[in-house]
Amino acid sequence: MTNDTHIVKSYGEELQFLNDSIIQMGSLTESLLTDSMNAITILDKDAVDRIVQSDKKINEYRAKIDTQIMTILVKRAPMAIDLRVAISALRISQDLERIGDLAKGSAKKIVPLPEDLSQALLDSLKRLGNTVKNQLNKTLDAYIKKSKEGAIEVIKLDENVNELTYLSIKEILNFLSKDNKNLEFATNLLFVAKNLERAGDHIRRISENIYYLVEGDYYQK
Amino acid sequence: MDLIMDNKIKIKSNNLNVFYGQKQALFDINLEINQNEVTALIGPSGCGKSTFIRCINRMNDVIDICRMEGQIQIDDKNIYDPGVDVVQLREKVGMVFQKPNPFPKSIYENVSYGPKIHGIGESKDDLDQIVENSLKRAALWNEVKDRLEEPGTSLSGGQQQRLCIARAISVNPEIILMDEPCSALDPIATAKIEELIDELKKTFTIVIVTHSMAQAVRVSQKTGFFHMGKVIEVGTTEQIFKNPTNNMTQDYITGRFG
Repeated sequence: MTNDTHIVKSYGEELQFLNDSIIQMGSLTESLLTDSMNAITILDKDAVDRIVQSDKKINEYRAKIDTQIMTILVKRAPMAIDLRVAISALRISQDLERIGDLAKGSAKKIVPLPEDLSQALLDSLKRLGNTVKNQLNKTLDAYIKKSKEGAIEVIKLDENVNELTYLSIKEILNFLSKDNKNLEFATNLLFVAKNLERAGDHIRRISENIYYLVEGDYYQK
Repeated sequence: MDLIMDNKIKIKSNNLNVFYGQKQALFDINLEINQNEVTALIGPSGCGKSTFIRCINRMNDVIDICRMEGQIQIDDKNIYDPGVDVVQLREKVGMVFQKPNPFPKSIYENVSYGPKIHGIGESKDDLDQIVENSLKRAALWNEVKDRLEEPGTSLSGGQQQRLCIARAISVNPEIILMDEPCSALDPIATAKIEELIDELKKTFTIVIVTHSMAQAVRVSQKTGFFHMGKVIEVGTTEQIFKNPTNNMTQDYITGRFG
């Protein structure tokens, strides 16, 4: 196992700080995703302002992490595992930011939603949302533990997200078919389902980057 | 990056062991160095990398207490065979040292000395041509062409090092050994030498010892990591610096020990 301590202590501290920033950004993104799903499924309209604020914070993290990475690249010319820590942090922070954007985008769609959505439709969206949240939670856990196995598990489970998206879209189309006036609502809900699927894709990419960080090679199916 | 890599092996060491008196400096070194490539040797001070390159032109022969076992082959011929002429070997294997060491002679004589003693270039015209070509290939000609009679020592450090490279290549060697050639130079002079190394590898096989990881990454195609007289890991430079297989290599190149 590689020694944890750099001869230059401050270098090790900078890498640790970067690692911590990713974890904090990830945990904020996880909360934002939860808030966003609650906003949609329990029509919590007050949550939208809170979500917009969280998204701003996530964007600030992204900028802060970019700066940290650039400083490390310029100051330390990192090699091997240290280079992969920096490069994967750059990619992971981009994906987390996109997940934040997608969750915010979904939450903004709730304002025109009717309050009498069918339970089946809500349940299918909840299932999809919960699966995406679990995936994000697992990938962050894999990042904290630098676990290749954890990352692979998330990559493999992405298929579930795609299947649940398909089921949600079916429910939404069913809702649309009942009454033409549902068109606008249904379109918004389609966005929500698609956003969750795309968030799932970003989570899979984060896991692929964790695999790359640990193994120094790209994940092959 | 070259699209086609000629992977012909130019230098090969077989179970090379080197001793300075009772102390063993190299242990069972088996290393292959490809033709027309730059091979970088890295490792902490005292790890044996300079001892290794000094075996390639038998520089260690001049150290009385130095003894070696095993073989070094150049083009499949053991250079330690009794019949090998060391002077001819050193014509084939040039060397550039850490500190530029021009002779206390003119720029012209610094470059023409080698061809003269090796009997290359019979006439003054021949020598003039060799000096001009060597200085051009060492990317120094334009800076010195109007002052060839001035002492080599009057040049700047970077120019002196390029003069030493011109001197090394003036006898048409096949291999150039470089022992930390840029450690005494400023970044601009270093960049010029690195640019030159990239050009020279088209004609020569280059082995460079360096303490700068960044330099090894920039100039070499293959890297060997030495530690306590042993080769710990050898691989393409890209593999060694992106994803070394040995934890000790990783700890060294990431600054976790040294």
